[in-house]
Amino acid sequence: MSSRRPHPAWAPWLFLAPFLLFFAAFGAWPLVRSFVLAFEQTFGPRTTVYVGTLNFRFLFHDPLFWAAVRNTTVFTIGTLVVQVPVALALALLLNRPDLRGRSLFRLIFFSPTIVGSIFVGVIFSLLLEKRTGLVNTLLHAAFHSWNPDFPWVDGFVMPSLLMASLWLSVGFNMSYLLAALQNVPADQLDAAAIDGANAWQRFRHVTLPAIQPVIGILVLLTVVGALQLFDLPFILYADSFGNGPNNAALSIVTYLYQTGFRSGDLGYASAIGWILTIALVLIALGYRWLTRGEDAAA
Amino acid sequence: MKSFFAGFVRTLSPGIALVLGLGIISAVIVALLPLQPRGGIQIWLGDGNHANLYRALAPEWNSRHPDLPLTVSLISGPALQSRMLSGFYSGTPLPDLIEVERGQIGQVFAGPLKDVGFVDLTDLLARDGLKDEIDPASYSPWTSRGRIFGLPRGAHPVMLAYRSDLVEAAGIDVRRIETWDDYFRLMRPLLQDLDGDGYIDRYPLTISLTNASFSEIFLIQGGGGYFDGMGNPLLNSDANVRIVARLATWYAGPGRVIGDINMYTGAGLRLLREGYAVAIPSADWYVGNYPVTLPSLAGKIKLMPLPAWERGGRRTSANGGTMIGVTKASKHPEIAWELAKFLYFSPVIARQLYDLTHIVSPVKSTWSASYYDRPEPYFCGQPVGRLLQRAIPDIPPRPSSPYLSSAVQLVNSVITQLMAITDRQGYVRPEQAAGDARRLLDEAQHTLLDQIHRNVFQASPSP
Repeated sequence: MSSRRPHPAWAPWLFLAPFLLFFAAFGAWPLVRSFVLAFEQTFGPRTTVYVGTLNFRFLFHDPLFWAAVRNTTVFTIGTLVVQVPVALALALLLNRPDLRGRSLFRLIFFSPTIVGSIFVGVIFSLLLEKRTGLVNTLLHAAFHSWNPDFPWVDGFVMPSLLMASLWLSVGFNMSYLLAALQNVPADQLDAAAIDGANAWQRFRHVTLPAIQPVIGILVLLTVVGALQLFDLPFILYADSFGNGPNNAALSIVTYLYQTGFRSGDLGYASAIGWILTIALVLIALGYRWLTRGEDAAA
Repeated sequence: MKSFFAGFVRTLSPGIALVLGLGIISAVIVALLPLQPRGGIQIWLGDGNHANLYRALAPEWNSRHPDLPLTVSLISGPALQSRMLSGFYSGTPLPDLIEVERGQIGQVFAGPLKDVGFVDLTDLLARDGLKDEIDPASYSPWTSRGRIFGLPRGAHPVMLAYRSDLVEAAGIDVRRIETWDDYFRLMRPLLQDLDGDGYIDRYPLTISLTNASFSEIFLIQGGGGYFDGMGNPLLNSDANVRIVARLATWYAGPGRVIGDINMYTGAGLRLLREGYAVAIPSADWYVGNYPVTLPSLAGKIKLMPLPAWERGGRRTSANGGTMIGVTKASKHPEIAWELAKFLYFSPVIARQLYDLTHIVSPVKSTWSASYYDRPEPYFCGQPVGRLLQRAIPDIPPRPSSPYLSSAVQLVNSVITQLMAITDRQGYVRPEQAAGDARRLLDEAQHTLLDQIHRNVFQASPSP
C-alpha cells in the first residue's frame, strides 16, 4: 500500500482546467455564438438584428445553396465511387509479394498528399489549361483531331475536381488499405488456396472481410472530407472565387465562406454551417448504425 | 497559501511547476506592457507602385506636418480587405486612410449607411469646392445610397489594344471601324487556322471568359449594367438582354469569333505574344502592363477606341479602379482628408502615376498636361495618354452595390448557360439567343432581388 497522501480533491480539475478553458473559449462558446448568429442578420459582429428563422427559411429557397448542395453531393458520391476502389486496387498491386521497389511506389503514390491541396489545385489548373496545358498539348500532339482548346476546367467541372481530388488523396487511402492488407492472416489465405479457392474467391471471402473495418473508416473519412470541399475549387476556379462556370464548382463550404467573409453576413453563413453540421452528424450516426454489428462482434 | 503552493509543486513536479510559473509570469508581463502609441498619419494600400509614389512624397508632407509624419503600409490585397473589414466590424486598429480596390469595396456598403467605416466625403467635397474637379463617372463605384465615400485614383477608360502588325499586314484599315459589327466583319480574315488542323489559332478579339469583370466592360458600354444609381438591380434590362445575347453568339456556336485567354497568367501572356488574339479591351492600367509584361511586342501594338454597339454609340467603357477613403477610426480626420487631397489632386503625383502605370487621373485640371501628348515608341508612336484622356468624358457610370459580386456572378452564370444553349442550338444571330437570354436574366434578377430583400440593413433610411 502506498505511503503517499492521496491527491487533493481539486487535483483532477486542475489537470482538466487547461483543456476545459480552451474548449470553452475555442469550442463551446463559438458553437453557442454561431447558433445564436444563425438567427440574426449581421453587418460584422457589432451590428446585428434578430431575424428569427428567416436565414433557415431563405436557405431552403436559395438556388445557390441548392446548387452548392447538389455539387457537394455529386462530388461526395463521385469521390466515394472512384477513390476507395482505386486506392484498394493500388494497395492490392503494392501488396504483391513479388513486387520490387514497393517503398518507392508507395512514396510516389503518397507524395501528392504531402504537397497538399493548394499545390495540387495549382498543378491541375496548369495541366488542364486550354491550349497551353500539358494534357491538351499532349493529346493534340498524339491525335491531331484533338481540340487544343478542349475546355477541361470550364466544361467538365466535376470530372476535373474529381481527378484532382483522386490524385491528392488516393495515396493516403492506399497506405491505410496496404497496412490492412499486410495484416490479413496468411494462414487463412493459404487454407483457402488449399481448399481450391481462386484469386477472386480468396479476395472476396478472406481478404475483403478482413479489411472491411478499414474500408469503413476510409468511407467515413472520405465522405466527411468531401462534404467539406473548399480548397480545390477555390484554387481551380480562383477567378470566380470558387464558383466555377454557372456555379458548377460551388460547394457548401465555399458558399458559407463567400456569405460570411465576402458578403459579411455571418448570420446566414452560420445557418449554412449548422445545416452542414447536422448533415455530418446524421452521416456519422448512419455510419454507426450500419456498423453496429461489427462493434458487437468486436 | 504556503501549503497550497507546496501541494501544487508536489502535484505537478518541480519542472512542470517551473515551466507553468514562467508561462504565467510572461503572460502577465506581456499583458501589462503598454501598447506603442501610433503616431502620425498612416495609409494602408495594396499597390506597390502607389506605395512607392507616396513614400517618395513623405518628406514633403512631413516637412509641412512634422508632428504627424506619414507612414505608408503596403499590404497584400486579401490581407488588406480582411484587416479593413475587421476594423470596421470589430474596432481592431485601423489607419487614417485606406486605398482600396473596387472588388473589395462592396462589402463595406452592406450595412446601414451610418455604419460604413469610411467618412462620408460628400459634404467635404462640396465644402472644398472639389466635387466638380473630378470626372463624375469616376465617383460612381465609391458611392452608396447617394453618398460618396472615396476619391477615385484613376478614370480607367477602356480602349481596344490591337496587334497593329497583324492588322496592317492584312490590309485592314481600322479607321473604317465604328461598331462591333464593323469590327468583326473587317477583322474576319484574321480569324485563322494557322496550322491547318481544323481549329482556330487566331481570334479577332479575346477576353477572359472566366474573369467575370470582363462582361461588365461590354454591358456598361452598351447602356446596360448591374445596378441603377440607387442600387436597384437591372440584370434583366433590355440593354442587358441584347448585349448578353450578342456576347453568347460571339463566344459560342458556329459563329464564334472570340478567343478565351486568362490574360493574368503566364500562359495567357504567351498566347498573346504568339498572336492568338488580335485585340483585347484594355483599361488604362492594363495598357501600362504591356511594355512590362510583353516587351517583345514593342512597336506591334496600337490603341483604338472600342467599337460601339450601334452607330453613334459610346466608344469606351471602364474597368477596375482604386479609391482612397478616410476611416472613421482616424484621430485626425481633417488632416487625413488634407493628405487624401494632397495625394489625389496633386499634378505631380498624377504625372508620376501616369509615367509608372498609364493610369489617367480623373482630376480635370490635369488633363491638359503635355505628358499625355508624348508619343510612345512601344505603341507605335501613339500619344497613348491623350487617347485615353479623350475617352474619359464618355465613360459610363458604374453604380456600386454590396451585391455587385453576386450580380457579376449571376450574369456570368447566365452567359455560361447561354453559351451552352448557343452551342447546342447552333445560334449564329443574337436575335436567336434573345429569348433564352431574357428568360435566364429574369431568373437572375429574381434571385438577386431575393438576396437584396433579405437584407434588413439596406432598408434603413439614408441620413
